[in-house]
Amino acid sequence: MHLVFFIFLSLLYSSRLNAESLAPGYAPLSFAAPVPSTYSLPELGVAQDGRVLDSQAHERSLLALMKGKIVVLSFIYSSCDDVNGCPLATFVLHKIQHQLSLHPDRVKHLRLLTLSFNPEHDTPEVMRQYGSSFQAESLDWQFLTTRSVQDLAPILHNYQLNVQKLSTVEGKFTGKFSHSLKVFLIDEQQKIRNIYNAELLHPESLLSDISTLINNQTHTRTRPKKAFSPTPTRQLTALGLPTLPVPRANPLTQAKIALGRKLFFDRRLSFNNTVSCAMCHIPEQGFTSHDMATAVGVEGRTVRRNAPTLYNVAYATTLFHDGREHSLEQQVWGPLLAHNEMANPSIAFVLDKLNSQIAYQTGFKHAFNKPATMETIGLALASYQRSLTSANSAFDRWLYQHESTALSPEAQHGYTLFIGKAGCAKCHTIKAHSALFSDQQFHNTGIGYRDSMVTNASTQQIEIAPKVFVNVANSLINSVSASKQNDLGRYEISQNPAHRWQYKTPSLRNIALTAPYMHNGSMHSLSDVLDFYNAGGVAHEQLDPLIKPLNLTPKELAALLAFLQTLTGDNVKQIVDEALSEPIGN
Amino acid sequence: MNTTPNTLRPFARLLNISLLLATLPCALNATADETCQSPYMAKITGQEDVVYVWTLGMEGLGDEQDKMVTVDVKPTSSTYGKVIDSVSVGGRNEAHHADFTDDRQFLWAGGLDTNKIFVFDVHTDPLHPKLVKTITDFVAKSGGVVGPHSTYALPGRMLITGLSNNKDHGGNTALVEYNNAGEYVATYWMPTAKALQADQSSVYADGYGYDVRALPRKNLLLSSSFTGWSNYMMDFGKMLTDADAMKHFGNTVVQWDLHTRQAKKIFSVPGAPLELRCAWKPEHNYCFTTTALTSKIWLIYEAEQGVWQAKAVADIGVPANIPLPVDISISSDDTKLWVNTFMDGKTRLFDISDAFHPKQVYEQKIGAQVNMVSSSWDGTRLYFTSSLLANWDKKGLDNEQFFKAYRWDGQHLQPQFAIDFLKEKLGRAHQMKFGARSLYTNASTAK
Repeated sequence: MHLVFFIFLSLLYSSRLNAESLAPGYAPLSFAAPVPSTYSLPELGVAQDGRVLDSQAHERSLLALMKGKIVVLSFIYSSCDDVNGCPLATFVLHKIQHQLSLHPDRVKHLRLLTLSFNPEHDTPEVMRQYGSSFQAESLDWQFLTTRSVQDLAPILHNYQLNVQKLSTVEGKFTGKFSHSLKVFLIDEQQKIRNIYNAELLHPESLLSDISTLINNQTHTRTRPKKAFSPTPTRQLTALGLPTLPVPRANPLTQAKIALGRKLFFDRRLSFNNTVSCAMCHIPEQGFTSHDMATAVGVEGRTVRRNAPTLYNVAYATTLFHDGREHSLEQQVWGPLLAHNEMANPSIAFVLDKLNSQIAYQTGFKHAFNKPATMETIGLALASYQRSLTSANSAFDRWLYQHESTALSPEAQHGYTLFIGKAGCAKCHTIKAHSALFSDQQFHNTGIGYRDSMVTNASTQQIEIAPKVFVNVANSLINSVSASKQNDLGRYEISQNPAHRWQYKTPSLRNIALTAPYMHNGSMHSLSDVLDFYNAGGVAHEQLDPLIKPLNLTPKELAALLAFLQTLTGDNVKQIVDEALSEPIGN
Repeated sequence: MNTTPNTLRPFARLLNISLLLATLPCALNATADETCQSPYMAKITGQEDVVYVWTLGMEGLGDEQDKMVTVDVKPTSSTYGKVIDSVSVGGRNEAHHADFTDDRQFLWAGGLDTNKIFVFDVHTDPLHPKLVKTITDFVAKSGGVVGPHSTYALPGRMLITGLSNNKDHGGNTALVEYNNAGEYVATYWMPTAKALQADQSSVYADGYGYDVRALPRKNLLLSSSFTGWSNYMMDFGKMLTDADAMKHFGNTVVQWDLHTRQAKKIFSVPGAPLELRCAWKPEHNYCFTTTALTSKIWLIYEAEQGVWQAKAVADIGVPANIPLPVDISISSDDTKLWVNTFMDGKTRLFDISDAFHPKQVYEQKIGAQVNMVSSSWDGTRLYFTSSLLANWDKKGLDNEQFFKAYRWDGQHLQPQFAIDFLKEKLGRAHQMKFGARSLYTNASTAK
């Protein structure tokens, strides 16, 4: 028996006296080995080159030695006596060599490379002798060294190996090294596919990984991306909607809609690249957000009001809950510049950011034949939002196309209540040939009044886990609450005291998709909303006279709910799919 | 100074050197701050020189930016108890967690808001970390993962937990791998009910993420679950009173196959299980987590026939008062678990000698609020910081921001020093990591 192998076995034998101290690689795997090719070995980087010497003292390129082979590369030094260091690597490779010898079809794919990091001692001859104890004819296992420490250094650096000479307190080199045990699995394209240390290096798992590479069925798992659809092809007019109002100065074009959609989903439109329009107006959540009552902006800043749905926003004669804008082209700059929304510090900041990107240079040129400007950004975003029309609902087909079966009898009863006893249509108007379900006016339901004027109870019930509720003292909540901003509604724009706590009547189209409800998102379901109106809102001096107790029975409330659920347009999936096809700008 | 790099293997029998020999059971199974580190990482078992404090910038305070603050904690140092270095990184990124690469050469510090990961060289001059790289492609490369949280060392790579996504800023998220060079490797999405339809799992699979820990000898990887960007960036009080927002917290711990990164099992752990800490001893096949909202200690343990289970084993304070347990730290001998509760500003010590029956044995108020706790390997030195999340921290005078050092004498926490991060114009003190020159001294000698 060769001396080196004898020493190696002696080390192992002595270590077995303390089995706990041995690395897992020496024992049978304590769990089921991974089944080859049922998992991925993603690429961890590119194997690096270096000048090495083979055991015949021929200078070789490390990458040349790897070419066309699956390689297991280990780093050792021949006099290493740390049983869980170099000997572990050599033991594991020796073990797989033995097992692979039973599979010559697999052996031909594989090469083992063991490189010394002690070139001063480990000459090619030393490595030849060291390797001769382990090598078998069946497997290509080469033992390498370098001509010098200088040749070795870049290899150690590139493979991130921290090797330290160990010295006595007098500073004398002991001939030993402190080092990181790292073994690399490298594929035929010289990509690193796994890295093993003392805890992970085991013959069985290494064999599984090698087999996985040989089977060549690995792939990187990433979320599949949906096909990109450059422009919407759907109709923008639909049964139940009036003629689409399009400003003369901004005729709709596919190029503008596509550009506006790209902008809408681009998080870089915010100051710190975190918030896009779509983060609050989420397509899959009815172009609002189901997850919160009122929105949050850049750095989590509080927005006072619920993000309104953008379905059919083209028809709104005023915008925002307080109606402070009347044109989509102008409206877009509100969120872009608001400190608590997208927080851009200036118009120029936005323009510079967009015009510095080739995709936008091309997009704006294509749509407007000019770069991004305050005007063209507004035109593009308005065009996309204007395209979000949705109707041809069951209700539309029933009322305007006289499809008698489009609504259930219960929903038809709900319609009767809607325009009659419940009085909903007084604000959520329905016309002879179309219905926007909004009078485009402002009303005081008492919700804003309650927020501003009514003192909360001393505790609040909070759901801390599914169906687990606790009553929490307001003092505790207040200790972690920023000061609540007041909200006076339309008054903030008009400064007319009569307009305090008035908010714009929202459309009810697609209402089943756009929870939570009301300007502050305080109602989680349509049933909550119906109950609120049935009770007559929040009584106070300025409550809108149209709002009063309705005395609706539970059956009538159910009928109203059934009716509201018939207002969902038939193109929602198309709009959402189209939106999801847009790559998100990060 | 004693350091135990688990894969650096000195030969103490032969040598009189300053490195402490790693006993292999520890080296092969270590997980804990210094008692809570990755098992793949070199660790400091003696006196640490410095603590790096990943600090959130505050509007209106100092330079308002996030920064890596270095505090001298070596008692014999002339600058003991002082801030000796501060590296501002630009912007407020919602600085949160930070951790080292497996070779402990670099410290990766994540921003939950901007998704940047700042890579600091801590080996060239451990007392003065240097920002050497900023990873800005995390969201784009990962396929839309938002909120890089735990940066957990695996051999040659970092496993990074996400908290959210760029589609709706909700809680669906993924584990993301980068190599140590800062290049994207892979994304593993958290299992969802949809993905699990095939195995008819009865446990709700929320797809949320938070922390991650590995037990290599068991081929075990665990991930916990918190909430998405919309909630963790929201004003805390606003969120507590928003019933819709409160429905969007994680209620699961996921067991993964460490080798294949494939989800194997989902445990129902209601109420936002946060930090995961695994026991050190080879015969201790279990990990702990605590639920932030329901205030319980949970044990994730290997039961009969190698099947892993989850069980609530203790209450923390009075759960109905929402003490909000945040960071936890396990001792290196698996007998103690420090649990910080944010709302009452207390740290609580649990005797976990019987892992199934933790008992609180001590509590101490640290400040008006407290979040992170880090323990030295021997458990005699504990450090605390104050900030939870920028918009979750307390308001007004209760918004204390500090780094506090204590000595644990086995009975009581004895204050050593405190640094007021507001007075020092630094910001909100969050994650702490230890540094020691001795980790790198021998490398210098070798050169």
